[in-house]
Amino acid sequence: MTARAKVHAETIVSARGIVNRFGPQVVHDKLNLDIVRGEIIGIAGGSGSGKSVLLKTLVGLHQPDAGEVLLKGKPIASIGAADKSALIGVLFQQGALFSSLTVAQNIMLPMREHTTLPAKEQAQVAAMKLALAGMPADSGIKFPSALSGGMVKRAAFARALALDPKILFLDEPTSDLDPIAASGIDALIRQLNQILGITVVIVTHDLTTLLTVCGRIAVLVDKKVTVDTADQLVKSDHPWIHEFFHGPRADGAMQSRKINHGNG
Amino acid sequence: MINVRANKQQVALELDTVHPTLVVRGEGDGFVLAGALEIATLVAAKHSLHWSKQGAKRTLDIAGLDTIDTSGALLLCTLRAKGVELTGTRAEHQALFDLICELDLKPIPKVGVVPEWRQIFIQVGKGAHAARKEALDVITFVGRAASWTANTLIHPHCLRPAAISRHVAETGIDALPIIGLMAFMIAIVIGYQGVAQLRPFGGEDFTINLVAVSVLREMGVLITAIMVAGRSGSAFTAEIGVMQTREEVDALKVMGIEPMQVLVVPRVIALVITLPLLTFFADIMGLIGGAAISQFLLEVSPTQYLVRLPQVVDGSDLFVGLFKAPIFAFFIAIVGCMHGLRVSGSAESVGRETTRAVVKSIFLVLALDAFFSILFEKLGV
Repeated sequence: MTARAKVHAETIVSARGIVNRFGPQVVHDKLNLDIVRGEIIGIAGGSGSGKSVLLKTLVGLHQPDAGEVLLKGKPIASIGAADKSALIGVLFQQGALFSSLTVAQNIMLPMREHTTLPAKEQAQVAAMKLALAGMPADSGIKFPSALSGGMVKRAAFARALALDPKILFLDEPTSDLDPIAASGIDALIRQLNQILGITVVIVTHDLTTLLTVCGRIAVLVDKKVTVDTADQLVKSDHPWIHEFFHGPRADGAMQSRKINHGNG
Repeated sequence: MINVRANKQQVALELDTVHPTLVVRGEGDGFVLAGALEIATLVAAKHSLHWSKQGAKRTLDIAGLDTIDTSGALLLCTLRAKGVELTGTRAEHQALFDLICELDLKPIPKVGVVPEWRQIFIQVGKGAHAARKEALDVITFVGRAASWTANTLIHPHCLRPAAISRHVAETGIDALPIIGLMAFMIAIVIGYQGVAQLRPFGGEDFTINLVAVSVLREMGVLITAIMVAGRSGSAFTAEIGVMQTREEVDALKVMGIEPMQVLVVPRVIALVITLPLLTFFADIMGLIGGAAISQFLLEVSPTQYLVRLPQVVDGSDLFVGLFKAPIFAFFIAIVGCMHGLRVSGSAESVGRETTRAVVKSIFLVLALDAFFSILFEKLGV
C-alpha cells in the first residue's frame, strides 16, 4: 500500500447486504464487503462459490436480488457512463478485446468515447499504456487474434487502464498463463497499485497471486465473505479456508510469499 | 489566469476526482500548474501552454498539482524531454515520473495505406486466388467424403445407425411442417399466376398442368433443398464447428478415429435418405395446393382434379424431381460438413463458416438444377 492510501483510509467500494439467487440456489446471502482505497484485495473461493457473480455485481453488470453496491458512497446504478468509465476498469477473464479492432484501437476506444483528445494524442497515450503493460509498440497494429494468451491479457490490461481508473477489477488475471507471464502480471499489478495508487480487486484461484500481491483476501465461503490478511486467514479454523491455505499446492505459494516479503 | 473545467456540466457530485479541474497560470516561458492533470484536462493543458519561441529557459512549476495520472505524466515527461524545466515535483509523484519517463516509448507504427487503384488489382488477385483454392477444396472434400461414404457402405459394420437415425430425425421429421407449408404455398402462388396469365387465352384449365408439372419437376425439390440447406446444412456447420473450437475433432483424431467417418459420413447418408423423402412429401403437399387452387379458382372439384392429374403428368415428371434430391442432399451435406471442419479457433469463425456454407450450398443446388434442366431437355425426359 502506498503512503497516500494510508492517509485516506476510506472505503471506495462498499457492497451492502448483497443477495444473489439463481432459481432455488442462493449464491450470496446478505454479503457485505468493504474495499479500502489504495489496497489490493483478492477474492478467493471454490468453483461455483459465486466469485464471478460477485465481481459482476461489484461493477454493476449484474443486478443483485437484494442489497446495493456503493462506489465512493454513491449507488453504482446512479453513476453515469462517462464517470463510471473514469472510475472503474475491468480486465475480463478472456480479455474481451474487440476482435474487429487492432490492439491500439481497442485502447483508444474508451478515450474516443469519453475524452476530447485528438486522435494523434490518443495514439501517443495508447503507446504509453502499451509500454506500461509491457508490450512492444508494434503490437499496437496487431489484431487480438494474432496475440498469444499472455499478450491478450497485457493488451486487455492496457485497455482497462485507458482512462486511468481509480479501481481496477481483474477477473482471473493469471489463469491460462505460463509462470513467467503470470509473475509479470503480478509485478504489473503491484507496480500500478504502488505508483498510481489504483485500488485493485482480483478474483483468482492463483494462490501465488493471492499470497504475494494481495494485502487482504476475501474468501467466499458459506455464501458470505471472510475478509482478512493472509497471515490471519492461514490461522483460520474454518475447514474450507484451512484446506485452501494448507493444501499441498499452498506450500509453494507460501514460500514465494516469504521470499517476496523478505525482499520487499 | 485560465481556469479550465474538464466537464462543463459540473453536476453536484461527490465524485471529486471524476470532474477534475486544472488551473494554468503564467505565460511565455514560465507556467504554473495546479489542480489535476489527468486525461480529462489534458487537452485543456496543451491548449493553455503557449511557450514563447525564443525563451532561453522555460520552466513549469507543478508543485500545485494534486493529482497526476499516467497521461498527465506523459505530457510532463514529453515537455521535460523538450527542455522544459519542471520545478516543485512532489515526492509522491516522483515514482510515477520515474515509471513513465523511463518507458521506452515508440510511436505505434502506421499501417501502410495502399492506393485505391492498386487495391482493385489486389482484391481481384486475392479473389481469384481464393476462388481457385475454394474450388480445389470442394473437389478434394467431395472426393474424400465420397470415398469414405462408399467405404462405409461396402463395410456395413462401420455404419453408425444411431447417428444416422438421429440426423434423419433432425433433418427430416422436424422439417416436415415447414416444408409442407412452403410447398403448399408455392403451388398456390404458381396457380394464381397461371390463372391470371392463361385466362385471356381461355386456357386457364391448363393451370393444373402448370402447377402439377412445375411442382413435381422443379419446385418441390428446389424448395425442399433450399430449406434443408438453410436449416440442416447450417446446423451441420455449426455442430461440427463448435466441436472444432472445443478441440473435440482433434480428440477424435488422436484416438485414431477418422472425423470423416464419424462426423461426415453419417450426416451425408442421413441427408441422402431424408431429402428424397422430404421432396416426395413436398410434391404431395404441392399437389394438394394445386387441388385447392383448382377448387377455388377453376371450380374443378378434387375428384375431377385427381382424374386430371394422371393425364397431365406421368412418372417421368416425378422421377426427374426425385432423381435430383439425393444429389442435392449429397452436396448440401458435404458443403455443411466441409465448412464445419474448416472452423478454426474462435467462435466468430463458426458464424462466418455457417454463412458461407449456406450461401455455397444454395448456389450449388441452383447451379446443379440448371445443369439438370439442360441435361433432361437434351435427353428428352
